[in-house]
Amino acid sequence: MIQLYHVHKRYTNGTDALVDVTLRVREGEFVFLTGPSGAGKSTLLRLLMVMERATDGQILIGGRNIHVLRDASIPFLRRNIGMVFQDFRLIPRRTVYENVAIALEIMGLGPKEIERRVTQLLDGLRMMHRAQAFPGDLSAGEQQRVAIARALVNEPAILLADEPTGNLDPELGHDILQLLIDVGRRGTTVLVATHDHGLVERYGMRTLVLGRGQLLEDRPRQLGARITAETGLNPLAVALTESRQHAPDAPVELDIPDEVVP
Amino acid sequence: MKHGARPDYVLRQAWLLLRGSPWLAGVSALTIALALTLVGLFASVMFNAGHLMHELGQSLTLSVYLHDTASAEEVTAVRQKLEAHAGIKKVRALTREQDRDRNKRLLSPELLQGLDEASIPGQPVLEVDIDAELASRGDVDALVKWTGALRGVQSVEDVEFGAEKLRLLFAMVEIARTIGIVLSGVLLASAMFFVFSTVRLAVFSRRDEIEIQTLVGATPGFVRLPFLVEGALQGLAGAAIAATLLGLLHLELRGLVRDVYMLNVSWSLLPPGMIAWLVIGGPAVGLAASALSVGRYLKV
Repeated sequence: MIQLYHVHKRYTNGTDALVDVTLRVREGEFVFLTGPSGAGKSTLLRLLMVMERATDGQILIGGRNIHVLRDASIPFLRRNIGMVFQDFRLIPRRTVYENVAIALEIMGLGPKEIERRVTQLLDGLRMMHRAQAFPGDLSAGEQQRVAIARALVNEPAILLADEPTGNLDPELGHDILQLLIDVGRRGTTVLVATHDHGLVERYGMRTLVLGRGQLLEDRPRQLGARITAETGLNPLAVALTESRQHAPDAPVELDIPDEVVP
Repeated sequence: MKHGARPDYVLRQAWLLLRGSPWLAGVSALTIALALTLVGLFASVMFNAGHLMHELGQSLTLSVYLHDTASAEEVTAVRQKLEAHAGIKKVRALTREQDRDRNKRLLSPELLQGLDEASIPGQPVLEVDIDAELASRGDVDALVKWTGALRGVQSVEDVEFGAEKLRLLFAMVEIARTIGIVLSGVLLASAMFFVFSTVRLAVFSRRDEIEIQTLVGATPGFVRLPFLVEGALQGLAGAAIAATLLGLLHLELRGLVRDVYMLNVSWSLLPPGMIAWLVIGGPAVGLAASALSVGRYLKV
């Protein structure tokens, strides 16, 4: 699903954020991206979201070379990639419901379809009772749940999370990570950037270790890795299963038009 | 795949943007209203002046006074020359006696008392009804030039034509038009500046929202549209105020012309379709100003 070949990113100030990174993440895989601050984790995620362009190398997402993607096609690529940030990035003037619905509004869906999908997802995340609250009225854990809901509501093929537990206490962090693992279990490719080694060790999932912009280690998923939730019992998993338009096991095709009128 | 936003969503977001800075938005709408009212007023003045010119052109008369000594052939030659000219409706030839009779009818009996018949002025004259299209001062000038040429004809003594008053009227209309264009231009530019500033403020205050929208896959059009509609709504509000003001003013003026000045004006005092043009023009001005602001400050 995600392939990087000899990717290099140099900023205008001469800093090399990524150096000759080659990696591959399969469809439906859950991967931790770890390393100290400044290792290049966030840069890698920003390249995948085409918030920045690589200086050199090739990046393929769902088989599409995003290195040569036209600017007009970027929005359509992003509709296939959900992103969760450490600082949640919720719109303070909009309610929880509206914050989640925005990802569907941009696709021009009708109000009924938007209501169905948002309600289902908020229900699954146990956030429906706060649907009309504003982000400022929510706890950090609740805000991150809303951010995850927004990232998932249009059923992306890929979910990227940049330090999603960074602003949460360990208990809440565990809850959020469990949520992301559940998302992965439903067939979404999940890439979680974190500098929290303890967290990474605890789950034993495949881990890519970055250091000074280089890929230092690619640890495979450990046998008996902790996956606690059962698909059929977890409310989020149920919500995702019911809202999904395609079968979880079907190969994912990115919905990016070849020719886009800007 | 759908790319665009739903109209109800765009309108709701535009309304929320307006509510974000209601005072500035109100000032923008009022400035647009003022500018459009002025444009409407000057358009009305031009329209009515045009009507007046047309009416005047239709009722213009020209008196070509001939020498007493002019022979019948010379009178016929001048008459044919006049009739051959475009825009001449009718030419009537009056003999000296007929002209004297006409003058007697025009003068008051008190003035005529004690005067003998020979003292009453009278000379051969050709009375010409002109049906001229007077759309500009150039048309009047052309008419004056032609009548001036008539003076050079040997049998013609004098030509009487009240063109100077027409020229004055045209000059006043032209001055009014220039003032109107300059004032309306200045006011429209101010209105656009206010809309430009309102939209710029809205863009700055929504930077976080714009960033999030682009991250979840919004197209540049989706992000920009509410800001453009915000400008257009300010223009629409201004146009609605201007249309109401001009409508009320029209009713007042019409009453004044009919009841106070006792004039029966056959045409409407407002140009046809002007209100419709204002309703289109207002949002167009708002849209243009917001497009400039969005183009400059909203980089997606």
